[in-house]
Amino acid sequence: MTPDEKAAETRQLEQVWAQPRGWRAFSDVNNSTVGLWYIATAFAFMLFAGALALIIRLQLAVPENDLVPAETFNQLFTLHGTVMMFLFAVPIFEAVAILILPAMLGARDLPFPRLSAFGYWCFLIGGVFVSSSIFFGQAPDAGWFMYPPLSTEQSGIGADIWLLGLSFIEVASIAAAVELIVGVLKCRAPGMHINLTPLYGWYVLIVGAMILFAFPPLIAGDLLFELERLLDWPFFDVTRGGDPILWQHLFWIFGHPEVYIIFLPAIALLAMIVPTFAQRPIAGYSWIVLSALGTGFLSFGLWVHHMFTTGLPSISLGFFAAASEAVAIPTGIQIFAFIATVMLGTVIRSVPMLYCLGALAIFIVGGLTGVMVAVAPFDFQAHDTYFIVAHLHYVLIGGMLFPVMAGVHYYYPFARGKMLSRTLGIWSFWLMFIGFNVAFLPMHLTGLLGMPRRVFTYPAGLGFEWLNLISTVGAFVFAGGFLLFAWDCVRPRRKEPDVPRNVWNAGTLEWALPVPQPPYAMRSIPVVNSRYPLWDDKDFVHSMDEGRGYLASAPEGKRETLVTSVLDAQPLQVLRVGKPTWLPMIAAFGLGAVFIFSTYKLWIPTALGGVVFLAALLRWLWTGTAIIPEKPSKDVGGGLELPLYVSGVRSTGWWAMFITMTGDLTAFLSLIFGYFFFWTVHPNFPPEGMDGPGWQWPAVAAVVVLAAWALTLFARIANRAGRVVLARWLLGGGLAAAGAGALALVAGPLTTGLDPTTNSYPAIVWALVVWTVAHLMVGMLMQGYCVARSVFRKMTPEHDADLWNVTLYWHFAGFGALLTALVIGGFPLLT
Amino acid sequence: MTGKVTEEVTRETGTGTDLWRVIFAPGVWAVHFLFCYVFAAVYCEKLGRDAPLDLATWVIVGATVVALGLIGLSTLWLWRVRGRSLTDDDFEFEHNNAEERHRFLSHVALMLCVLSAVAVLYVAIPMLYLTSCR
Repeated sequence: MTPDEKAAETRQLEQVWAQPRGWRAFSDVNNSTVGLWYIATAFAFMLFAGALALIIRLQLAVPENDLVPAETFNQLFTLHGTVMMFLFAVPIFEAVAILILPAMLGARDLPFPRLSAFGYWCFLIGGVFVSSSIFFGQAPDAGWFMYPPLSTEQSGIGADIWLLGLSFIEVASIAAAVELIVGVLKCRAPGMHINLTPLYGWYVLIVGAMILFAFPPLIAGDLLFELERLLDWPFFDVTRGGDPILWQHLFWIFGHPEVYIIFLPAIALLAMIVPTFAQRPIAGYSWIVLSALGTGFLSFGLWVHHMFTTGLPSISLGFFAAASEAVAIPTGIQIFAFIATVMLGTVIRSVPMLYCLGALAIFIVGGLTGVMVAVAPFDFQAHDTYFIVAHLHYVLIGGMLFPVMAGVHYYYPFARGKMLSRTLGIWSFWLMFIGFNVAFLPMHLTGLLGMPRRVFTYPAGLGFEWLNLISTVGAFVFAGGFLLFAWDCVRPRRKEPDVPRNVWNAGTLEWALPVPQPPYAMRSIPVVNSRYPLWDDKDFVHSMDEGRGYLASAPEGKRETLVTSVLDAQPLQVLRVGKPTWLPMIAAFGLGAVFIFSTYKLWIPTALGGVVFLAALLRWLWTGTAIIPEKPSKDVGGGLELPLYVSGVRSTGWWAMFITMTGDLTAFLSLIFGYFFFWTVHPNFPPEGMDGPGWQWPAVAAVVVLAAWALTLFARIANRAGRVVLARWLLGGGLAAAGAGALALVAGPLTTGLDPTTNSYPAIVWALVVWTVAHLMVGMLMQGYCVARSVFRKMTPEHDADLWNVTLYWHFAGFGALLTALVIGGFPLLT
Repeated sequence: MTGKVTEEVTRETGTGTDLWRVIFAPGVWAVHFLFCYVFAAVYCEKLGRDAPLDLATWVIVGATVVALGLIGLSTLWLWRVRGRSLTDDDFEFEHNNAEERHRFLSHVALMLCVLSAVAVLYVAIPMLYLTSCR
């Protein structure tokens, strides 16, 4: 190939991946742009929540202080916790992963770039909505875990803002989880067997899966909570058969795994940084993978340790204390593997490494106090005191903030092509490290002396005046260090030279990119043969730049990346990914309007928002997904011919649907859990005199929904067999059956006069019905969409990805409807 | 077994230990944990706080035996493929072929069996010491 031809190829790639300029820049969907927005936004929220924390510390600096009144103080600590957890700790994981993962895996972009953009806009809108509430004195004020009955009966609109705003942001988290799981499993460079995948990829995979099982219970909880606040359905009201403990369960089934959802991706950054500065491969790769997996599982067996003082039987406490101790084993293995890597290597002193070591030191203290509070009798004493505040800050700052800071220092040259200042970095590290310990170490004592959390002031003479004053001083030193770091990140550096390529002499793929990074990332997609290709193959970068890898050109003018097999990363398909468009942003604004206006019960704007969302979503799907390519396959280089269109279980879209629906199923099962929870705690369930919904209507619903499900499946089979018209009729029949099933399901509780406001039993029955009917309606929309696609020849017997994905949706929706009918119709017969 | 393994062992791509087998043992832990918790919670709620745990103890012990049995089966299956890394007979698993990936995942799965068995035992211990629902 002549140099001219090569230059032509590069020009093609540049054109295809060109970033939109001017005001259109906001329509960008490429992972490197969206990732940067995401990170900047998360840090902005972090600064905001940090400022709230400083006000808290000022108020507590001296006894009997009157800087802020109690109501404001409640809003301050609630919003501090909420913003730090939901708007910084979790999103920063998604943000960093979106930015660095594709380059690390050797992909040009994530499989669903528009989904990332949608998630980002949801996060931004929801976050601004929740955060700004404090300026109107309407912020949530019942603590970041919103325990009823305080939050259901006393809070003002703040609780609604919390519920709806955060539900909206959870959508973004689940979107990111779908994106990242499919990315790690299906978009690795050819040859990157799963044992060669960078550890960061493993962690992202595990955390993505954890999100699918952890966030949905909270979404279910939010739904019940909002139904209680909006429509007075008494799920958590004891006087009408509700139980506040149900909320605590749903919240902490989310809340505890969330700690690990925050911690694991941050530790994953250490797993990338430590080998680079030890200049050797990570020690115990497989041990880290298995302990990360083990931690992911065990972290789901810990949630009740937040509820040790709620009066549960001691045997329940025992189970959870045992699992809480067990999780220390895999966590410890990971830490030891990092220490071993440092010991075996030749350590290069650098700012990222400083933060890594600081993180380990702080996290180990937090981990040890964690083992202490996992012992139930100790927890009884320390519960809701400043000891817990100290513990959780040691865990989160050592386990998340410091590793992320290390990551920012390490990846800044990757993202921006410039270095952060070494001097400022060392200064900010020591200010933060010392400030942190001065602020939080005394809190262990403050707590043991008996100072409770969340009090807005305290009288003098209890022995913790000095400790509080020291904490306040430390908090400001800490904040000073962070501001120094923030300044270093944003200060103008036009005059500074670009860093050389692979500035840290790292071994992983993301450092192979040129500086400044071209929008198409790599010139060609390389074949990977080792865990640290840049160390092991000296010709690697050169060969990649020469275009000897795959997809070195883009003659069709489409953005393309490779899809490979899960275990061995064999090339399977060329995936065409989305170009910049406003649609994700419009859809996010529409959905945001639904959540925001419904908080204020403004139903007409809510409905309009819904219409905008639906219209944008349908247009996005219609014009941007499952597009029939101009030819069945293409040569990706090296004589390898790969298909351009794949449907069914081997397609990324099918996987995305499967993953989304797994999360959705978890939320549904959480509602079912609610039903059986009420059965467990009530001697009579269903209560005397409530005979609904009977078994007849649910039985009808079950049969009709089964028919809708089967018709959809047959439609797929018929379509594949070339009987397109029959397939359309089957889909139409399925649509009608689904509608009939939904009506039958509603008829059960309606005809038997179950009033959801009277008792928790009818309320939970109705909640299940509402959930299921909503899913049937979405299913009907999908069936109609497929008919339309078929009529407009966008779906043919060979190109049937839409129908495969809709059928998969129906497997879940059908199962959900069947289970709902069985539970609400069948279970009362057994009691 | 010492020395470098130089012979290339071939395996068809996509075969061997997969991710489902890797998460089998921790999955057993999860089901066991959930069962223990739900069973004990329902038992104590329905029989009252003064009820003795007699029956519940036996049920939990039984569930633990079943769980350990399932993990044991998985261990047995993995024991046969416990081969070390192709390259240096170590636990690095950094070779670039399907056999190495199979051995890597088998090692991960095997060690997860150990971890899961320990965690299952941990969860069962409180049941052996407590006598009532209090």
